[in-house]
Amino acid sequence: MKVLEPRPNKLGITGWFYAGNYKLERYFYILHRVTGLGILLFLVFHLTATTFFRIQGEAVWNNTMSFLSNPLFKAGEYLVAVAFAYHMLNGFRLILQELGFMMGKPVPPIYPFSDALRKKRRWTMAFIGIIVILCVIFFYDFIIGGW
Amino acid sequence: MKRYTYVWLWQLITGVLIAVLLGIHMVIQHLDKILVFFGVNLGDTTSWSSMIERSRQVTWAGVYVALLAVLLYHGLNGLRNVVLELTTSQRTERAITWTIVAVGILVFVWASYVPIALLNK
Amino acid sequence: MEKPKTEQITFRVQRYDPENRAIPHFQEFVVPCSHGMTVLDALIYIKENLDSTLAFRTSCRMAICGSCGMLVNNYPHLACHTQVEEFCAKKITIKPLPNFPIIKDLVVDLTPFFEIHKSVKPYLLRSDVKEMENPTAEYCQSHETLQSFLQFTYCIKCGICVAACPTSASDRLFHGPQALAQCYRYCGDDRDDGEKERFPLVGTDHGVWHCHLAGACSESCPKGVDPALAIQLLKRRLVSRDLGIGKKTPPAPKVQPPTETKPKVPYPEFTVKQG
Repeated sequence: MKVLEPRPNKLGITGWFYAGNYKLERYFYILHRVTGLGILLFLVFHLTATTFFRIQGEAVWNNTMSFLSNPLFKAGEYLVAVAFAYHMLNGFRLILQELGFMMGKPVPPIYPFSDALRKKRRWTMAFIGIIVILCVIFFYDFIIGGW
Repeated sequence: MKRYTYVWLWQLITGVLIAVLLGIHMVIQHLDKILVFFGVNLGDTTSWSSMIERSRQVTWAGVYVALLAVLLYHGLNGLRNVVLELTTSQRTERAITWTIVAVGILVFVWASYVPIALLNK
Repeated sequence: MEKPKTEQITFRVQRYDPENRAIPHFQEFVVPCSHGMTVLDALIYIKENLDSTLAFRTSCRMAICGSCGMLVNNYPHLACHTQVEEFCAKKITIKPLPNFPIIKDLVVDLTPFFEIHKSVKPYLLRSDVKEMENPTAEYCQSHETLQSFLQFTYCIKCGICVAACPTSASDRLFHGPQALAQCYRYCGDDRDDGEKERFPLVGTDHGVWHCHLAGACSESCPKGVDPALAIQLLKRRLVSRDLGIGKKTPPAPKVQPPTETKPKVPYPEFTVKQG
């Protein structure tokens, strides 16, 4: 009898972004990943600018600074600052929850079921609130002050 | 197996250290307009003269080198975690880990050489 | 008695025939659904009346065997535990659970899932093997200790958490939330002494450290087992063991035989009158 191989059905990287109609915390996970990689990418350019262009003297530096004061780059820098604020505050929340601090105790399940992350939703929202405040502060400085 | 726990723990510790050091970096160098509210006026912190002044101070060189070290560890370890979720063979994993470690050491040596060498210029 | 009101609901079911290996495609069936009907009832109606080649797993029809996990309207449910009415829609899409290989239609291959579950040694391990093989007494466990891991014992091995996990979607070597939660269920049980054996299996890069607390496993668990909490408690335990901090409770002792014997109750020597 011919043995039929089952068809592979893993979601792959798309599974990081969307696998179904899940609630908020799953999307915090992917945003944490995206902001982390985004900041790393920005770091490559930032380190080039502050090392290669820095050591070549004043003229090259001022040239670079005027090139980077283009509004498009300013907006990009604001995005990086927002990404940093999100990654930092979500990171603090993850440090606390992954070490079991802000997760509550195991409770025998009684219908309708809820889980630790949903029960601690208020704490998660507090961290998001701090992120929003930081975004407003950065907005003032980067966009309004820095044009 | 303890090794894996320590790698993860250092990811957390460097995360907190980055929050502190990068916070200092952001506030002093990029959020100078906000500091005006607190009565501290630093002028244009990205201008050449301001940078020359900072590059002569040992504390600033120390902050930059420390920030670079923790940032490279945290960022490259994060990158390694993301890439390792997609690989299965032990050989590929070891190759990726050593490439990332090599890149990290190279970048650290180069980018920390700059503030230290400029200390006495 | 009044005939129950029925509504015609369209079910879009993903079909896959392994014999001709075509790309999975959708087939629509119109099912008369009444109040109280579950998705499983609809699938059984389709199989009995519309297309008997439809393949799906079902057994207990009461959310205790874990056979009928499938993606209903893009969210994993147990088909027997999901009312058709809860979607308030005329069209319901049913797909097999993601992250498992598809055998046919809605049937997925759970063998690797069970193999990984077995690999974390989901049974009590104790250093006194003689007592384990030939028990002489019960183990003593307080109510508080039981409450600290009881939630994780309700797992029915349906595979829905693994379908929800983003790490399981891409990492082939990841144990999955179910195996890691069951590893904690045994490590947290104080009758068990097998931490030393289990920790090297799960405390690796592709084990517990690839969980990043997306929480989709706990959200979608149909029995409220909360595997995410179990995994974070497992991380906490791993860290405290590897750093050497925190107290280590000794494994549960045996119940001691009673020290005082109860006095014998006097009873008549003969229950039937002699003589």
